[in-house]
Amino acid sequence: MVKKRVVHEPLWVKTLLFLISGAFLFVFIVLPLVTIFREAFKSGIAVYMETFSDPGVMSAIKLSLLTVLICVPINTFFGVFIAWLLTKYRFPGRKVLITIIDLPFSISPVIAGLLFIFLFGSFGWFGAWLMEYDIRIVFAVPGIVLATLFVSFPFVARELMPLMRELGKDDEEAALTLGASGFQIFWKVTLPNIKWGLLYGIILTNARALGEFGAVSVVSGFVRGVTTTMPLYIDILYGEYMFRAAFALASLMTFLALVTIIAKAVLEYYIAAQRKSMEVKIQS
Amino acid sequence: MNIEIANVNKKFGNFVALDDVSISIPKGEIIALLGPSGCGKTTILRIIAGLETPDSGVIKFFGEDFSNKKIKDRKVGFVFQHYALFRHMNVFENIAFGLRIRPRKIRPDEKTIRENVMRLVSLVQLDNFVNRFPSELSGGQRQRVALARALAVEPTVLLLDEPFGALDAKVRKELRLWLRRLHDEIPVTSIFVTHDQDEALEVSDSVVIVNKGKVEQIGSPEEVCDSPANPFVADFLSDVDELSIKKKKKGLFNVINDKRQGI
Repeated sequence: MVKKRVVHEPLWVKTLLFLISGAFLFVFIVLPLVTIFREAFKSGIAVYMETFSDPGVMSAIKLSLLTVLICVPINTFFGVFIAWLLTKYRFPGRKVLITIIDLPFSISPVIAGLLFIFLFGSFGWFGAWLMEYDIRIVFAVPGIVLATLFVSFPFVARELMPLMRELGKDDEEAALTLGASGFQIFWKVTLPNIKWGLLYGIILTNARALGEFGAVSVVSGFVRGVTTTMPLYIDILYGEYMFRAAFALASLMTFLALVTIIAKAVLEYYIAAQRKSMEVKIQS
Repeated sequence: MNIEIANVNKKFGNFVALDDVSISIPKGEIIALLGPSGCGKTTILRIIAGLETPDSGVIKFFGEDFSNKKIKDRKVGFVFQHYALFRHMNVFENIAFGLRIRPRKIRPDEKTIRENVMRLVSLVQLDNFVNRFPSELSGGQRQRVALARALAVEPTVLLLDEPFGALDAKVRKELRLWLRRLHDEIPVTSIFVTHDQDEALEVSDSVVIVNKGKVEQIGSPEEVCDSPANPFVADFLSDVDELSIKKKKKGLFNVINDKRQGI
């Protein structure tokens, strides 16, 4: 089909649209970003660095990294597992499962946090049992990890499902007839086929796990130096009028977010290239 | 008999894909499974390969019951309709795949793998393309890579699902004769699925005509054309180009002369 341009906007319309969207982006995205770094470095590098010698700040950074290190591998594994299950097999309840995957996206993070309080809190379903064995989940590190796992779960599965559906079963079946075992098929055929999509999903999971505030703040209990992740600690610092330190920590998180976005952009390029090579395959 | 399929039934939900199908395939022959689309011919092929399990019935290879045999132990080569080449591997690695993934004990050494692959590469006339990736090949070239990859594991049976289906008309015709000759050069029994009557009659030693999950007739191309078993076969073969059978004979006769014409 030949694309026909029905509407040909005059130059002034284009210019106006460009100016409006440019101004919007500047005010709501660029300006806040600049502000974070400007505020963080306002009193010089020495003061900036001082923030990071605060043991509370350091433990918040450590806790955030620990959470990411636990959540990203687990969600990657189960994301691949579930995407595989839902795209390669047909079974009753499959549609329901696909919908359930989106649940962490669709419910508010606060409710996600409350869910874990209801489950593991002292008056929750498993509360009494946990007390008996002296296991603390809520208002402790396990609760933070669980809440983060919950909110960052869908990314990998969501990213892989359309890709795997598009790829179909042919490659795996071909490997099967050539004598490959299930393990070999996954490592040598499936994984290379989905690697860019998988990395993209991992990056998004990482971003969400690092930045999650709502769900984590509900289960955290704000025990300083124990259950405060980076976003929570920024909130604490700000609440105590320690603006320099709050902005310093915020600038570190922003920096990590920028790295993530750049990685994502690079990956998008590779994914587009892969799609293109798939198109060639289908056309001829 | 090399391969025997006896009283095979297969349902997908309520849809009857195969209804009491029995076929015997002599060793070294090339058989066409011919029928309209959705008739169950691809299901037969997938059941022989082990990619589908029949609801009932028996699959025998050389008299041995293979019905419950694992795919990797069946020694079948399968050429998929859309080739299913591994897009992250070049031609060489695609063909070598079946050898490289073998358990260490029975895996050939690097030198043997190299020799085997290069022999296959020249068999399918792709000597100058070993380093190319699937996305850099034409449809016909990919088809031949898929064929070489399937042959690398030295299958006793070669299964081809619509081997020419995704190619344009001219390449199709050339590949047809080429496949027939290739089959005559290597010790393998071939079964291919097609919905194209001319293709089936021109390439195969015998034709199995399938309709709505049932075998309508089995016979040589001449037999099914000259004496169709029922009105469906007669009707299905009515618009066949009578020449294609004669062409096949001529084609075989000329094998030596135009062997190197290249495709």
